[in-house]
Amino acid sequence: MLATTIIYGFAGICLFVLGLRGVLLHTTALARILALNVCGAGVFLLFVVLAYRGAGMTPDPVPHALVLTGIVVAVSATALALALARRLREIDHD
Amino acid sequence: MTDLLVWPILLPLLASLLALVFPRRGDWIGGMASLAVLISAAWLVHSVWDNGVIAVALGGWQPGLGIALRADGLSSVLLLMVAIVALTIGIYATRYFDNAVVRARFWPLWLLLLAALNALLLSGDVFNLYVTLELVGLTAVALGALGGSRDAIVAALRYLTIGLLGSMAFLAGVVVLYAAYGTLDMVALASVVEDRPATWVALMLMTLGLLVKSALFPMHFWLPPAHANAPAPVSAALSALVVKVAFYLVLRLWLDVFTVALHPATAWMLGLLGAVAVLWGSYRALRAPRLKLLAAYSTVAQLGYLFLFLPLLAGLPDGPAREAAFGAVVLFALTHGFAKSALFLGAGVIQQRAGHDRIEELGGTARALPVTTFVLALSGIALIGLPPSGTFLAKWQLLAAAVETGQWVWIPVVAVGSLLAGAYVFRVLGHAFAPGDRDGSALAAGREELPALALALVATVVLGLAAGGLWGFLDFAAMSPGGAR
Amino acid sequence: MSELLWVLFDLVLAGLTVGLAWVAVATRELRRGVLLFVGLGLLLAVIWARLRAPDLALAEAAIGAGIAGALLIAALRDEIGVSAEPEDGYTASRRLVDLGAIGLLLALSWGLLDAFLLSDGVRLAEGVAERLGESGVINPVTAVLLNFRAYDTLLELAVVFAAVLGVLSVGPARPALEAGSLVLTGLVRWLVPILVVVAGYLLWVGAHAPGGAFQAGAMLAAVAVLLRLGGVAHAGLPGTAATRWLLVLGIGVFVIVGLSVMFADRAFLQYPGDIAGVLILVIEIAATLSIATALALAYLGGRPVGWEADCDSPQHRVNRGAADRGGDA
Repeated sequence: MLATTIIYGFAGICLFVLGLRGVLLHTTALARILALNVCGAGVFLLFVVLAYRGAGMTPDPVPHALVLTGIVVAVSATALALALARRLREIDHD
Repeated sequence: MTDLLVWPILLPLLASLLALVFPRRGDWIGGMASLAVLISAAWLVHSVWDNGVIAVALGGWQPGLGIALRADGLSSVLLLMVAIVALTIGIYATRYFDNAVVRARFWPLWLLLLAALNALLLSGDVFNLYVTLELVGLTAVALGALGGSRDAIVAALRYLTIGLLGSMAFLAGVVVLYAAYGTLDMVALASVVEDRPATWVALMLMTLGLLVKSALFPMHFWLPPAHANAPAPVSAALSALVVKVAFYLVLRLWLDVFTVALHPATAWMLGLLGAVAVLWGSYRALRAPRLKLLAAYSTVAQLGYLFLFLPLLAGLPDGPAREAAFGAVVLFALTHGFAKSALFLGAGVIQQRAGHDRIEELGGTARALPVTTFVLALSGIALIGLPPSGTFLAKWQLLAAAVETGQWVWIPVVAVGSLLAGAYVFRVLGHAFAPGDRDGSALAAGREELPALALALVATVVLGLAAGGLWGFLDFAAMSPGGAR
Repeated sequence: MSELLWVLFDLVLAGLTVGLAWVAVATRELRRGVLLFVGLGLLLAVIWARLRAPDLALAEAAIGAGIAGALLIAALRDEIGVSAEPEDGYTASRRLVDLGAIGLLLALSWGLLDAFLLSDGVRLAEGVAERLGESGVINPVTAVLLNFRAYDTLLELAVVFAAVLGVLSVGPARPALEAGSLVLTGLVRWLVPILVVVAGYLLWVGAHAPGGAFQAGAMLAAVAVLLRLGGVAHAGLPGTAATRWLLVLGIGVFVIVGLSVMFADRAFLQYPGDIAGVLILVIEIAATLSIATALALAYLGGRPVGWEADCDSPQHRVNRGAADRGGDA
């Protein structure tokens, strides 16, 4: 196993777990949405680590495509969550 | 020939686009599309009946490099249930949403949800499943928030957060699988997975994600507020279909993909959680002040029964007894799908007619809305598991399997759960038949009450009678490596 | 020697990323959390570049840090003046969560380690390289996204569509900011044409180099964000009917192309080899426009003015006020 794989792989795991923990511990919607995005970033990092095959080799493009899909899905979910959170604040203000 | 696999996904997807562009034609577009989906689903079942498992490699690339869609007995009968329930709910929705603007918001999302459910049931690729899970989740959340009340928004936001967490866990499992086996195709995975740590961790992460989405105790807490505060047609779909497809995936992964890594201890643990869900959900349903909340807690309980089957399936060797148990879990899921959607639609009728759905104040309902009261009774029969409902046969098989495998502990759970279900159903009926101050002239029927009646009749009568055919079908068209389960 | 330097670089970059994520998630102050999150996105873009994923570096900078950052910062502005009291009664016990988190960390490390030991490390890389010539494009990531796994991308567009439908049904858009300062409007006037050109370039170049529909769509959406910041209320979106068509264009064209080849006796989305490149470009153009429209609407945060004017027959119009407040009557 490459050192690069181990270093970034562990970082990915850390981001995933940190995000998960954040979602469960926070109470405000915005903080939870942030944590979910961190959690997702961790999983994406793991995918990209899988794709990396060392300096001289072409990386595996499949995980890259999956992560691109994942990033777009994450931003969509974030947009919906933020719209719901904003609506909630509006209701509370009226 | 295999092209027919794409229609249940593409028809509602295209209709969803049309419903956005032509907002005033929503009812017409939605109705036609739902009908077309039903025809394509029936065609698919027919074709699976003739040919066994059918598959198509999208883009013409071999699965692995590309993505395959597959249908076997399990996925095609669930697809048919989704199509029938969705069409019926759609008909009711044209009456429930009497405001054209809200209907214009409803149809594109509703048709997209239908496309998403079908895409999930037919997908043969674990990453594609993640995308379908997200699609189901986002559309379900947006539909659940349509009511617009504070409670509905809070519930939708929580549902979204929890659902995304579940998807992330599932996706993390997909990473581990791809890391270990270098493929995302489920059939390819089934033939290469080994009984070792990578597989265990992947299975754990994916199952955890799906348990959250299928609201197994103690991850059920998001379900009652989300299902009770959504508009009635949406609640019906959430309870009958959305949580059901998450359970379908558990079944698919455990029985078809990770067969080698399935240890009895894990299955027992899920069975125990299921048992607690049966008891806790039924108890909370009995104490629920509102009819829709009762229906939502009853969903928690009924999903618990589905998980009770896992330790039994794990404990039975391949053969007729296992096939019977497998058929029973599918029959249970189907019956609950029809019965629960009927119950939610009935609750919607009562809520709109009376302006509330408080159980204590249901007096006079039986006289004012006899058809809807009949619906409550019929769906109650299926929820308790009385003959001739499909649940009766399914519970019978559950008990038989418990005896066969010596897992006696599930028997009192089923007994107590059924008694509690009887209690909450009769509590509702008792209040509904009590005298009240409703005027007796509100006889409705038509598009308002008949959809629920049709669903309830399928749950109590049709599924009970057609169960024999179902068993044969599932057995004939099974996807698992060994042919029959 | 240079090996060691790279390891050091990796350690610092990974450590910085985890540290930043930690603080971003742990902070109670939302403003700081959001800013750190945008910083995290930029660090991730560097990591993607380091791990030889330039397509992702572009996408992360444009979408993950850019658009998501813009959405979050706009949300922060709504938050001003709102007390930070919990909106949601449910919180888990801290100790239990920490225990679970450590367990998960160990389990995932164990599982991945075992997976790496088991795997040959090639996975699908060779398979894609072998068939790349038949895909119609040279950039392997685009080949996977729009040919080998095009169906994933179709459903991904459906996810974007679902989210925007949700945003549109939840409530009306934010009120527009008043026209910005002269400096800002001047800057906007300069930046908008540049961004449009960059978007077009990214779209075109995606076939053989890093780039593609999603990056280009995000660039166009950035134009909308800029216009909005410069005081343009409609953020460059056309009228309601045209916007609706733009939203459905991507999925519509994708499905129509897929079905057309299917009716020519091929599988769904099985492009004929000689015109695969053209079909992919057509799909990407349509997808770019839909993604940009969807992201722009997401930035508005709800229904633009007059969005539902044509939804009901005249006699129902009176009820619309009630519906706009979200009641389902």
